Amino acid sequence: MLSAFDLLIIVIALIIIFTGFLGRRSAWRAGLKEKRAGDFAGLLKYLFGHSKIMTKRAAGIAHLVIFWGFLIPLIVIILAQSDFKIPLVPAEILSLLMDILGIAFLAGTVFFLIRRIKSEDPLSPKRSIFPMILLCIVLITGFLAEGARLSIIPDSSWASPFGWLLSMGLPPSPVFMQIMIRLHFFAVFIFIAILPFTFVRHLVTSPINVFYKRKNSRGELKKAYIDKGQIGANTVRDFTWKQLLDSEACVSCGRCDENCPAAVSGKPLKPRKIIQDILQLMLSGSKNRKRSLPDSPLDSKITGDEIWSCTACMACVEHCPVFIEPMDRIIEMRRYQVMGKGLLPAEAVPMIRNLELYGDVQGMGISHRRDWAMNRDVPLFGRDFDFLLWAGCSGAFHPRYQEVARSLVKILNAAGVRFGILGKDELCCGDPARRLGEESLFLKIAGINIQTFRNYNVKKIITMCPHCYNTLKNEYPGIDEKSAGNAMKDIEVVHAVEFAMDLIKEKRIIPKYPVNKHVAVHDPCYLGRVNGIYEQPRSIIKNLPGTNLTEFKRNYEKGFCCGGGGGGMWLHEHLGKRLNAIRAEEAAESGADIIGTACPYCLTMLDDGISGLDLSKPPKVLDIIEILASSIG
Amino acid sequence: MKIIVCVKQIRHTYSRTGMDPEKLYIAAEDNICRINPYDEAALEAALRIKDNSGAEVIMLTLGPVIAETELRRCLAMGADSIYQIDTEAELDSWQKSGLLAMAVKEIGADIVFCGKESLDKQNGQAGAFLAYHLGLPFVSAILDIKASDNHAEVRRSAGRGAREVFDCGLPAVFSVDMGQYESRVPTYTAKKKVQSCKINKLTFTVEKFTKMTSQAEVFQPRPRPKMIPVPDSSLPAFYRIDQLLIGSKVEKKGAILGGTPESQAQGIMSFLKEHGLIKSKKE
Repeated sequence: MLSAFDLLIIVIALIIIFTGFLGRRSAWRAGLKEKRAGDFAGLLKYLFGHSKIMTKRAAGIAHLVIFWGFLIPLIVIILAQSDFKIPLVPAEILSLLMDILGIAFLAGTVFFLIRRIKSEDPLSPKRSIFPMILLCIVLITGFLAEGARLSIIPDSSWASPFGWLLSMGLPPSPVFMQIMIRLHFFAVFIFIAILPFTFVRHLVTSPINVFYKRKNSRGELKKAYIDKGQIGANTVRDFTWKQLLDSEACVSCGRCDENCPAAVSGKPLKPRKIIQDILQLMLSGSKNRKRSLPDSPLDSKITGDEIWSCTACMACVEHCPVFIEPMDRIIEMRRYQVMGKGLLPAEAVPMIRNLELYGDVQGMGISHRRDWAMNRDVPLFGRDFDFLLWAGCSGAFHPRYQEVARSLVKILNAAGVRFGILGKDELCCGDPARRLGEESLFLKIAGINIQTFRNYNVKKIITMCPHCYNTLKNEYPGIDEKSAGNAMKDIEVVHAVEFAMDLIKEKRIIPKYPVNKHVAVHDPCYLGRVNGIYEQPRSIIKNLPGTNLTEFKRNYEKGFCCGGGGGGMWLHEHLGKRLNAIRAEEAAESGADIIGTACPYCLTMLDDGISGLDLSKPPKVLDIIEILASSIG
Repeated sequence: MKIIVCVKQIRHTYSRTGMDPEKLYIAAEDNICRINPYDEAALEAALRIKDNSGAEVIMLTLGPVIAETELRRCLAMGADSIYQIDTEAELDSWQKSGLLAMAVKEIGADIVFCGKESLDKQNGQAGAFLAYHLGLPFVSAILDIKASDNHAEVRRSAGRGAREVFDCGLPAVFSVDMGQYESRVPTYTAKKKVQSCKINKLTFTVEKFTKMTSQAEVFQPRPRPKMIPVPDSSLPAFYRIDQLLIGSKVEKKGAILGGTPESQAQGIMSFLKEHGLIKSKKE
C-alpha cells in the first residue's frame, strides 16, 4: 500500500498539475465573453466513438486504444488502492482485460512515437516526444513488474498472458520487482505532472473544447459589435475565451495543414501555425504571473501573406478532430487589418468601393440588376409570391453566370413555381465584404437587405450561389436584431440544387433528354462542407438519363477549394501554386467530360484553370442547374 | 504647411434607365453621389505630403452637400477639416473658381490641390481659373509632388511616356491626375471619429464674378436622333432594335447641281450663304 513518501509524491504531482492547469485556465478565461452551452451527451458520444478522430484510420485506432488503455487501468488502479475484495473470476477477467489493453496501449504509443520521430515537416511546430517516451516507460516497467511478480509467485497464466511470457525470462527477484514498481510509479506521476506543459494537456483541454463545441451552423462567423469597438483581433485580448481555449486544445496533429488548400498549394498559410502562434502569444504574458493577456500584436508573429492566403473554405474547421476553428481567427485578424489599420489588399479595394457605392461586386449598379431577365418570363417579386429568386451579383451581372440564372428560370417555369425577383431592390448579400474583413460594410448591406425582405414579406428564398445561400441562411438571422414579426430566422432559404432535386422527386420536372456524358461533381465549399449538401447535386446527375457520375480524387468533405471564396476571387494569388490549376488537374485526371458545380466562383475559377491546362479534350465546366435545364428540354 | 484640396461632389451616372428623353433617360436612382475620383487622387497626394513632412490638410467643396457619406469618408482618410461654400446658384467655371479663390484666401494655404477634371463635366478649368484668381503659379495634371517649405518639385506626363519635372515656388495651385496614387482605405475607427466632424460653412456673394460662359445648347452626336420613347423591354430584341433604328434615322436631303462648273460653284455659294455658313463681306 501507499507509504508516506508515495503520498508526498502524489500530492506534489497533483499540486503541479492543478497549479499548471489553473495558470493556463486563467489565461484563456481572460478572453472576451461569449455564450456557449455545454453538451455533455455530445462529449460522451464523441469520446466513446472517437468519430471525428477516426476519419484518419490508423491514427484514429491508435488513439482509441490509447484512450481506453489509459482510462480503464487508471480507474481500476485507483479503485484497487481501497481495501475491497472482488471474487476471483471477475478479478481474473479484469486482469486479462488490463493486460490486453496494456499491450494495445503500448502498440498505440509506439505507433505515435515513431510517427512523431518521423515527422520531418520543417514548418510544423517542434514535436515533443518526451511524453510518449514516458508513456512507453510506464508501460514497459508495468509489464516488467508484473512479470517479476509472476516469476516470484506463479499465478494463473491466462489472466495476464504478456506478464506470464515475460516472467519466463525474468529472475524471481523481489528487489527487481520493487525497482520496476517504483519506476512505474514515478513515471506515472512525472507524466501527470507534465500534463499541463506539453501537448498531452489535450487530455484535459480537448474534452473541454468538445464540450463547448458550437451549436449553430459553422457557416456563421462571429458577429463583431463594431459600435462597441470590436473591430477584429489585434492582440490575443480581442479573442473570446472559446477562441483561446481552441488554441489550448490543439494537439498540433496537422490535419488542418494537410487539408488546407493554401498550405497544400505552397502558400505561407498554415492553420496549425496560426493556432499555435496564438497559444504562444497568449502564454507569453502569463509567465509574469499576471492574470491579464499580453498586448503584443498578433501580426508580430502572423504575417499578412498568411491571413490573406485563406480562401475561407472551412477545410481546417471540417478536419479538426477537436472542433478547433482556425478560419474564424483568420477572419478576425483580417477584420483588424481592414477596419483597424486600413490594410485591405490593393486589388480588393475596387471591389469594396463598388460595394460601397453601387451595392454590387461588379460595379454595375442597381439599375442594371434586372437586365439578365430582360424579355424573359421573370416577374418582379410581389406580396403573393411563394418564392423569391435571389439572383445575387453573379447571377445578375456575371455574363457567364447569367446563363445559369436563365436556366434556373427555365426549370422553375417548367415546374410551375410562382417566383419573382427583387430587381432593383436587391443588393449584394455582403459575403465578399465580410470574408475580407469589412464587417461594417457587411452589416450595412445586410441591414438594408433584411429590411427589404421584411417590406416584401418574403417567406422562402431560392439562391444559386452557395455564398449567398450561406449568408442568407446562416448569417442574416444572427444579425437580425428584431426578432418579432417576419424575422430572418423564419425565412426558409434553399439552394437551387436542393430545390431542383425536390422538384425532381415530386415529379414536377422530368429530365427526359439524355446527357450522354461523364459528369464529375465538384463540391463547392459553402454548399458541401459548410452546409452539408453533398448528395443533392449528385442525385440530380444520377437522375439525368444517360449520365455517368464520376468522382474527383478529393471529394465530399475533402473537396478542394477552387480558390474563389473568402474574397479570393478578387485577390491576387501571387504565392505558391494556383488553386484552380490544382483543381483543374484533378478534373483532368477524373476523366470527366463535364465538371458539374453549383457555385459562380467555382465555375469561373475552374473554367480558367482548365483553359490554362492546354488539354487536347478539356472538360466543360457547367453548373448542375444548366445540365438539368438542358435535360428537361 | 497648409494644404487645401478642392473636392467636387458629383452625381455619377452609370446607367440610363429613366423614361424621360428630356432628362437624357436618367432616372433619379441612377445617380450615385460620390467624390470626383481625380479629387480623391488629389487628396491622396496631399495626405502623402502630410505623412512625410507634416501638413494641415483642409478639404474645400462648393455647393450643396449631396454626398455626405463620401465626404466623411474622405475626412476619415486623414483630412483635418472641411469647408463648404454654401451656394445653390447655377454657376460657371469662372464663378466657381472665383468663389473657391475667396475661400482659399480666407483659409490661407501654401498648396492648393484640385483634380485634373471632374468626371461629370470634364472641362478641367477650375484649377487654372483658380490660379488666375489667386495670382498663383499653376501646374496642371501632375503625377507626383515633392514639397518643401517654399518650394515644390512636381512631375507631370509629357505624353508618350515622357515625364517633365517642374520646379515651382509655393504657394501654388496644382491639378492632380489619377496616376500612381492608390487612394488609401480609411479605418473604421477613423470613419466613426469623423461622424461628429462639423462641415464649416462659408458664404460669399457671387456678384463679384460675372458669368463668362453659359451653356447654349446640348446636342447629341450625329446622326441626330428623333425623340423616341425608351424601347419597350417586353418586346423581342428585333423590334427593339428596329425601334431604335427608326428613331435615329436621319433623312438625307440633297440636290445634285448640274450645268457648267461656274453655275455649280454659284450654286454652292448660294447654298452656304442661305444656311448662314459663310457671310459675304459686303453685308
